[in-house]
Amino acid sequence: LQHQRATGHTGQVKKATVEDVRKRIDILWERVQEEKKEETVDLGKRLEVRKE
Amino acid sequence: KHWEDDTDEEDEDVDDTDDIDPEAEYAAWKLRELKRIRRDREVIEAKEKEREEIERRRNLTEEERR
Amino acid sequence: MASKTHHAADERRFLDERGYSGPLAPNGANPATLLEKAVRERIIDSYFYKEQCYGINEADIVDRVVSHVTFIGGTYTIHQKPTPFICVVFKLLQLAPSDAILREYLEYGGAKFKYLRALALFYVRLTRASKDVYEMLEPYLSDRRKLRRRGRMGTSLTYVDVFVDELLTKERVCGTSLKRLTDRDVLEDLEQLEPRVSPLGDIEELLEEEDNLDQNGDDR
Repeated sequence: LQHQRATGHTGQVKKATVEDVRKRIDILWERVQEEKKEETVDLGKRLEVRKE
Repeated sequence: KHWEDDTDEEDEDVDDTDDIDPEAEYAAWKLRELKRIRRDREVIEAKEKEREEIERRRNLTEEERR
Repeated sequence: MASKTHHAADERRFLDERGYSGPLAPNGANPATLLEKAVRERIIDSYFYKEQCYGINEADIVDRVVSHVTFIGGTYTIHQKPTPFICVVFKLLQLAPSDAILREYLEYGGAKFKYLRALALFYVRLTRASKDVYEMLEPYLSDRRKLRRRGRMGTSLTYVDVFVDELLTKERVCGTSLKRLTDRDVLEDLEQLEPRVSPLGDIEELLEEEDNLDQNGDDR
């Protein structure tokens, strides 16, 4: 499990800094934008298929 | 995602997409903001009135004492 | 006690049966008891909390919100299932993020992810002193984005600004009793707060305008 790897054997997890939080927000925002783009592409493809 | 597999999945029936009609959404917000401001003012005015009333009564009793 | 660099991965020490002995929230509340006992128990028992809230830090919180928080609320359905929203609130109470991190959730992250803003708004209301609650929450009375809300009665639509207003004026929000705020006018008299200025600007004029609209019956 991913969380067990993160916490190791110590049962502890490293505190995040403000910079860590900002970075995570940026990464997630990019991911969401990518997903949206793919959705639109998918939709476009489906519409094209229907036209044929 | 089995924490989501419970009985009902009807939460999708409420659409929370923003900026479908930005002008209407702004107008609706403006109305809400005005109502809040009006309500807050009424609360303050009621408080002030109450304070004045207490003051008035205090003055009355002082006069009555004389 | 928690270390300076690490969090405990789970809530056991937070909810120690001998009683929580960690630091109090800035408003003097014990963070372990801010959510009601029945709700806390449901959270700890929930799959979502066990699988998604173990061993996470302040940055992972953003990930959980973006991936799983699609509505606000306390518990929902007749089974009173805890919402992912309230589960993440409970995790935040353990992590006790700094004001700097909260500002990041509210402003930079909140502009992108409205449910992240909603989470931080609720958390700030639970844990911060009255003056800071007004200062940190009021700017978002101008955020008109939509929020889905789920409760026992089903799903409804609300807005970030309405949520903020509820946090500032109501006694119970998201199935949680809120500590009383010092009235705003009292803090103004103590010169701890400046009077709030609405982004709408000249209020007198606008209120008059609204009156006219009401009279014409076409205010919507």
